[in-house]
Amino acid sequence: MPSKTLGESLFERGVSRRGFLKYCTALASIMALPPTAASAIAAALEKAKKPSVIWLEFQACTGCTESLTRSHAPTLEDLIFDSISLDSHDTLQAAAGHGAEQAREQAMKDNWGNYLLLVDGSVPLGNPGFSTIGGVSNLEMLQETAKGAAAVIAIGTCAAYGGLPKASPNPTGAVAVSDVIKDKPVINIPGCPPVPVVITGVLAHYLTFGTIPELDLHGRPLAFYGQSIHDRCYRRPFYEKGRFAESFDDEGAKEGWCLYKLGCKGPITYNACATVKWNDGVSFPIESGHPCLGCSEPDFWDKGSFYQALAQGQWGSAAGLGTAAAVGIAAGAGAALLARRKQHQAREEQP
Amino acid sequence: MSLNQESFQEFREVIRQLGETVQPVEGLTDNERVRRAKQVFLTRVHSAMAMDLETCIHCGMCAEACHFYAQTKNPKYTPILKVEPLRQYYRRELGPHRWLFKLVSRDITAKMLEEWQELVYDSCTECGRCSMICPMGINVSAMISVVRQAVAEAGYMPAELRAVEKEQNEKGTTFGAGPNELKAALQKMREDGVDVSIDKDKADVMVLISGFGINITQDALLATVKIMNHLGVNWTIRTDAYECAHFGMLSGREQTLRNSTQRVINAAISCGAKTVVTGECGYGYTALRWEGARRYGKPLPFTVMSISEFLGQQLQAGRLRVRKVPQQKSVTFHDPCKVGRIGGVFEEPRALLNALGVELREMADPVQTNWCCGGGGGVFLNNRAAPLRQAAFESKRSAVVETGAESVVVSCDSCRMTFEIGKANAHWEIPIESLVVLVGENLAD
Amino acid sequence: MSLLDFARGPGLHWAFIIFVFGICWRFVGTLLIARRIKLSTPRRTDNWLMGLKAIETRSWPVEEFHRVIRFQHYSGYIWHISFFIVLFFFQPHILFFKSILGISWPGLPNDVILVVGAIAVATLVALLGRRLSHPVLRKISNVDDYISWLVTTLPLITGFMAFAHVGGRYETLLALHILSVELLMVWFPFGKLIHAVLVVPSRFQIGASFGRRGVRA
Repeated sequence: MPSKTLGESLFERGVSRRGFLKYCTALASIMALPPTAASAIAAALEKAKKPSVIWLEFQACTGCTESLTRSHAPTLEDLIFDSISLDSHDTLQAAAGHGAEQAREQAMKDNWGNYLLLVDGSVPLGNPGFSTIGGVSNLEMLQETAKGAAAVIAIGTCAAYGGLPKASPNPTGAVAVSDVIKDKPVINIPGCPPVPVVITGVLAHYLTFGTIPELDLHGRPLAFYGQSIHDRCYRRPFYEKGRFAESFDDEGAKEGWCLYKLGCKGPITYNACATVKWNDGVSFPIESGHPCLGCSEPDFWDKGSFYQALAQGQWGSAAGLGTAAAVGIAAGAGAALLARRKQHQAREEQP
Repeated sequence: MSLNQESFQEFREVIRQLGETVQPVEGLTDNERVRRAKQVFLTRVHSAMAMDLETCIHCGMCAEACHFYAQTKNPKYTPILKVEPLRQYYRRELGPHRWLFKLVSRDITAKMLEEWQELVYDSCTECGRCSMICPMGINVSAMISVVRQAVAEAGYMPAELRAVEKEQNEKGTTFGAGPNELKAALQKMREDGVDVSIDKDKADVMVLISGFGINITQDALLATVKIMNHLGVNWTIRTDAYECAHFGMLSGREQTLRNSTQRVINAAISCGAKTVVTGECGYGYTALRWEGARRYGKPLPFTVMSISEFLGQQLQAGRLRVRKVPQQKSVTFHDPCKVGRIGGVFEEPRALLNALGVELREMADPVQTNWCCGGGGGVFLNNRAAPLRQAAFESKRSAVVETGAESVVVSCDSCRMTFEIGKANAHWEIPIESLVVLVGENLAD
Repeated sequence: MSLLDFARGPGLHWAFIIFVFGICWRFVGTLLIARRIKLSTPRRTDNWLMGLKAIETRSWPVEEFHRVIRFQHYSGYIWHISFFIVLFFFQPHILFFKSILGISWPGLPNDVILVVGAIAVATLVALLGRRLSHPVLRKISNVDDYISWLVTTLPLITGFMAFAHVGGRYETLLALHILSVELLMVWFPFGKLIHAVLVVPSRFQIGASFGRRGVRA
């Protein structure tokens, strides 16, 4: 049962105090808190009781868990993650079958009203049998587990917005966590997968301030999702100058010009990729030469091709316009013929 | 020989009292007025006009082409604004989007038609200059004539026009110049030794003259007769159909126009005329040359030419022989709108002037962009419009002055009157000459 | 569905449908109104040629009128040309046309587009100022004139905002930009903007009908 504080747990695992403070400072900076907040975070985190966390995985690919835990080398993020009292995680825990279910029920009972519920994957509403755990439908399990949670955190785009399972035609009737849970705060941490530091950052925020961070209109923490990829993109100057890569292997691509024409969704995508980057700050998709897919935005799968530029729209079909033209011609001809008849009658009546 | 000054002054007096000879139109309810106007719009709109009504972008350029606006700078004289009742009617009741426009626009009213009377009768000579400037290619003046007709049918025609139109409709004469007056005038010529052939049963060329010719511009009548004799063609003037002027056209009364046109056509057919020559009368030419066939219902069985056009062609054919004008002088030529811009006759009168050996000084806006004299469309009869007409005349006057020409040659009685009146009012000393008179006086022996 | 999704999807789709439908309706409805049969003998028979010629000659003021209408004339040219440059040569716009037409062409550098766009807006503002202050234009202007001005100006303004990222989040600005273009397309067939289509037959007609009488129009 949780007895150690977070600080104790971290230092035990060989994290230096210096490294810990560095992390807190970075976190404060990402979350746009004043530098003085770093020590407050450090103090709070160090003393915080390891919170009880239950992780539920529904219609998901496990990519979010992978993103967090299978980093190239152990990072502070996954250490912190390790250090929380992850009482139940279907993928990570050793227990299986009924044992696993018992672990979840025990954790709920012990921390009723205080545990954090983390969810990845979307919830199918179409048929309860589409996704079950131990014979319990995702919907039922989510509703039951959420009842005693202090807050719910939807990890990844599937949990946050329905994600890939919800993509048209949405065969399972997938919905987001926030579509089911209406009486509790739901923090969305979208991304496919989400940036690891964002998950721990939100946890740290919760542990430090005891509150959930300020969210944007899509339920995302503003501290991480407040700016678009485009706004922070190092290729932005090329956009301003109108220098675009036209294909993946042309001169522009080699010169590192803007990927707007190749379908980059950076201008309408809000995430921390361009600032925090991935793999310990090594790179992010645009830096690797690929346009942003916009994975942290609702319904990103259904917004046309990843390689269709933002300026391009869905103008409909030639058939639709042909019909419009045909109906227009008919309307015009009809109007003119009626006018002709009216004129003809009037001329007939004339003396 | 020039204008009969005595008759001219008499004529001015007649015009002054013209309006008092008819009773105002009364007893029409507003609904009836609007109904009649709409009937006109309904029957006269055609595809080309519809296209024009749809295309206007309200750029206001047409104002700059209009002498009434150019001289007064009053925005209400903008040509396209004069079309507004028609445009409003069209958009609400005939245009393709009429069901939509009805939701957002108001119907035309009798009050509007009354208000538009001044715009279409006093401040428009239907000269068509605005149609030349429009970047969209809108034929503005053609539409104004439709509005005129609608306003007329609604009972809002100026009294002077109504008086003349009524006379022509009821008696077939204008300004009291009937067959008897014509015969008397021609008899006088005979007495002076000029051979006149009237009322021939068979003639190749039938000549039309205007009532003015009998009363005031007798010099032109005499010249016409002399020239026709000189040409040696088989020609005639018919006392049953000699009137060239169509007050039905410029007043906007379709029935009157139809009757007067039909009378001429019948006479021409009965004498087997191959060519009908319209005298120096703008509307007379257009009404027969371009509108006659439509009213007749089929192509006319004869050719219609304005006298300047006819004489020019005779000159080119070598039948008309003229000598050089004795005193070399410079002239400028005023194309009458209805013969020039609307009628298409430009070369022939210039060929005549060239043969006469005068120095032709073209105005800055020649041929199809020529400034109107300001009196067309019956405006020269409209007493209420007199000050406005005089203002508009200024455009013409300065255009003439600019050329430095010693005299102005015109080829339309109505233009000639307007020039004479405008000249007198402006205390401007310049001879106003008729082209026909100039030719008639300089026939080679 | 977000505003941008609406703008790029169903909004654009329906704007196109209304655009095409409305133009066909108005054009055909005008063209098929009863023609006037001309029975008079034409002076010239090359009416077609005269009509085609008028399409060209009415693009320039004849010398006699040049002095009095040069402001309207040249401001009109500046406006139309700058508008078409921005419309057809801004690179994202080319992408847009490519998605519709399947073909693309070289664009102009953004700096050039910015300057030209500013000229377009400045001309529009000047033309509105003139419409509001010139007695003739004030007198003959109606609601259509002002709505048409607004719907042509909005895409330029929102375009600037989207390009410079001022006044809102990019997706909102882009959505507003696209929506303003849709507004323009929806209004186009019903207001005076239709002149862009009808100017051709209208000029042809005056050239042909005056040409028939032997008058160069």
